[in-house]
Amino acid sequence: MVELWFAIFCLMLAAYAVMDGWNIGCGIVQFLVARTPAERRQLIAAIGPLWTWHEVWLVAAGGVLFVAFPTVLAVALPGFYLAVFVLIWCLLGRGLSLEFGGHLDDSMWRTFWDVAFAVVNLLVAVLLGAALGNLLRGLPLGPSGKFSLAFFTDFRAEGNVGILDWYTIAVAVFTVVCLAAHGASYLVWRTEGAVHDRSVGLARKLWIAVFVLMPVITLATAVVRPELFTEMIQRPLAWIAVVMAVAGSALVINGQRHGLEFRSFVGGCAFIAGLLGAAAVSVFPVMLHSTLDPAHSLTAYQGAVDGPGLGLALIWWPVALILSLGYGAYVFRQFRGKVGLKAPRPH
Amino acid sequence: MDDPAFWHRLQFAFTITYHYLFPQLTMGLAPFLVLWRWRALKTGNEAYAQAARFWSRIFGINFALGVVTGIPMEFQFGTNWSEFSKYSGGVIGQTLAMEGMFAFFLESAFVGAMVWGERRLGPTKHFIATCLTALGAWLSAYFILVTNAFMQHPVGYEVTPQGTLVIGDLAAYLLNPWAFVLFAHNQAAALVTGAFVVASVGAFYALRGEHKAQARVYVEWGTAMGLLSAVLVAFPTGDIQAKYVARYQEVALAAMEGRFESGPQAQLNLIGQPNVKMRRLDNPIALPGVLSFLAFGTFHSNVRGLNDFPEDQWPTNIELLYYSFHVMAGLGTIFIGLMGLANLQRLRGKLMETKLLLWALMLALPFPYIANTAGWMTAELGRQPWLIWGLFRTSQGYSDVVSQGDALFTLIGFAGLYAAIGLLYLFLIGREVLHGPATDHEPDSLYPEVVNG
Repeated sequence: MVELWFAIFCLMLAAYAVMDGWNIGCGIVQFLVARTPAERRQLIAAIGPLWTWHEVWLVAAGGVLFVAFPTVLAVALPGFYLAVFVLIWCLLGRGLSLEFGGHLDDSMWRTFWDVAFAVVNLLVAVLLGAALGNLLRGLPLGPSGKFSLAFFTDFRAEGNVGILDWYTIAVAVFTVVCLAAHGASYLVWRTEGAVHDRSVGLARKLWIAVFVLMPVITLATAVVRPELFTEMIQRPLAWIAVVMAVAGSALVINGQRHGLEFRSFVGGCAFIAGLLGAAAVSVFPVMLHSTLDPAHSLTAYQGAVDGPGLGLALIWWPVALILSLGYGAYVFRQFRGKVGLKAPRPH
Repeated sequence: MDDPAFWHRLQFAFTITYHYLFPQLTMGLAPFLVLWRWRALKTGNEAYAQAARFWSRIFGINFALGVVTGIPMEFQFGTNWSEFSKYSGGVIGQTLAMEGMFAFFLESAFVGAMVWGERRLGPTKHFIATCLTALGAWLSAYFILVTNAFMQHPVGYEVTPQGTLVIGDLAAYLLNPWAFVLFAHNQAAALVTGAFVVASVGAFYALRGEHKAQARVYVEWGTAMGLLSAVLVAFPTGDIQAKYVARYQEVALAAMEGRFESGPQAQLNLIGQPNVKMRRLDNPIALPGVLSFLAFGTFHSNVRGLNDFPEDQWPTNIELLYYSFHVMAGLGTIFIGLMGLANLQRLRGKLMETKLLLWALMLALPFPYIANTAGWMTAELGRQPWLIWGLFRTSQGYSDVVSQGDALFTLIGFAGLYAAIGLLYLFLIGREVLHGPATDHEPDSLYPEVVNG
């Protein structure tokens, strides 16, 4: 049961990373592929009205953490206190810029929100990447079973660590590049015209950067937490995830080579989900790893809720999931198709 | 401020109070949109479609603010109240997760389709999208109110050997009678906000002589819904709620009324200032026996005063609790009076010519917000010193690893950010209202330069 809920939690986080990932990526590459205010509107329109639904996956993953692993939530969230709020404020800014950026037909208004949208998405990617880096590297969990992270300490990835050190910054940079590439692939698929053409070139460069950085990050992770890889080798589920990531990257390259936009985009989704899946399988059952002493690590078994709660939630959760996927698919269908620009009005 | 939980409490109070300014209008407007779309679909009357279209734009702006101010609430259970989350997550996690899975997914998927998708979806599907958005908003309220009801009146839980709470009986937890009453009372109050806002904008147009046909729709529907919901807030929902408090939270009732001495034929204090140090109510103007009647149904029942309870069980801010309750109840009474008058004139066919009433309706706009806020302050201050009534104190619940400096840092951040987005909201809503309902079929894309946007 605990294993199942760990899987559900990771699945929801991966769904969030893939789906909101392309929105974040669109934001990061916005000024690179969309040069005029109209093109930037086109990009926002390509993101479409489902972005809130994508963001709900993060909130709902938090809900799953609450229902299944309240102790983990109660240790992790105050531990990351400041970073969590910076992330929340960025998500707030992102929501405002998406919703309100188009309300006024005024160039200063639009410039302001376009720049805000690009900046907060970059920050969101950095924060999510750093968060992932922190979970992989571990946290200064002591005998009290709690921790409180500063933004930075001495930038070394061991002992009394901070949120930012050489390793987590590296993961954050990789995340930014990866989500930017993912966003560019999305725009290749969903737009036409100049934005599409620029996205094609940018997606190719960014995915090359991702595949170059990938071994570097893998090596860095092996240095910081070598036991992850010994675990990975012993677990067939992790192999499946790795195969998924590799197959995904092959699809990305193949799709780009043959101009198959959707194939390339799906490959990117599989790549991201595969990487996160491999990481999740390898860390299990540890949810919060201690950099001070592995004995203080918090596992899924220790963090899971007692009583019939997990079983009861398993009755309603699948129902809600199926309904949710239904809504998302339906609305997506209504807004499907490429987004283009009307010919400029004659002056 | 010596209380280590002080900044955490202030931050949660501030962010939740601010957040709830938006959902109350979202939930209050949703039935209007559903009803107008329904009328438009049935009768083909373009005025209703136009009304729905105009209020959908307001709804969209309001909804967006509700989302962005709502996300911090979810996180703050963990960041600021981690000991509470650890203690009770096994129970309240169920409804917090359900809210995300059942309600947020539903409303987030359809709100965009509702605001932007009229032409794309066609009238029938668009009507369904409107209904589903409304359903999501109201469902979300139910789950969060079940969570709150558990904090007010815990049921359906079990205590583990480690001393934490886990779910024992999910059905009992979800069907907590306190949650039903709270939901009915709160949703009626949200409808009051929606109705007053609709009527207020209608009155504004009517007084300016603009958008006359639309102004009439807004004023008439707003006052009809306003009277219905204002009555429902008081009776039966508010009445039952008060009886529950009298039965299960005796000490809270005493503090709400500024009642220190126990005794029969308890008076209902209309005005007065609690003087906690001297343990009395200064300058009271009161109705004898009425509190006994409202609390227990007879004029001579004994209602206990604060002196009957040890001080460590007293709500921690009796003065604020007293005023919150009286502001809520006082405004609620005025709402019934104002809407009653408006409906009287409406039935006589003279409402749109009664300038004084239109002015009153227009200027009444802020008061349902104040009443809703005061109502929630009554519930939450009355619950103190408990986080979960009788089980877990507020002083046990905050995150002890978060420094006072960090907590104040984020509170200041929220204060600045929320001031800015409040101005933004007023600007955008004001712009929509001044622009008014469009007479033509508006493009449903926010981006006129985009194809398939």
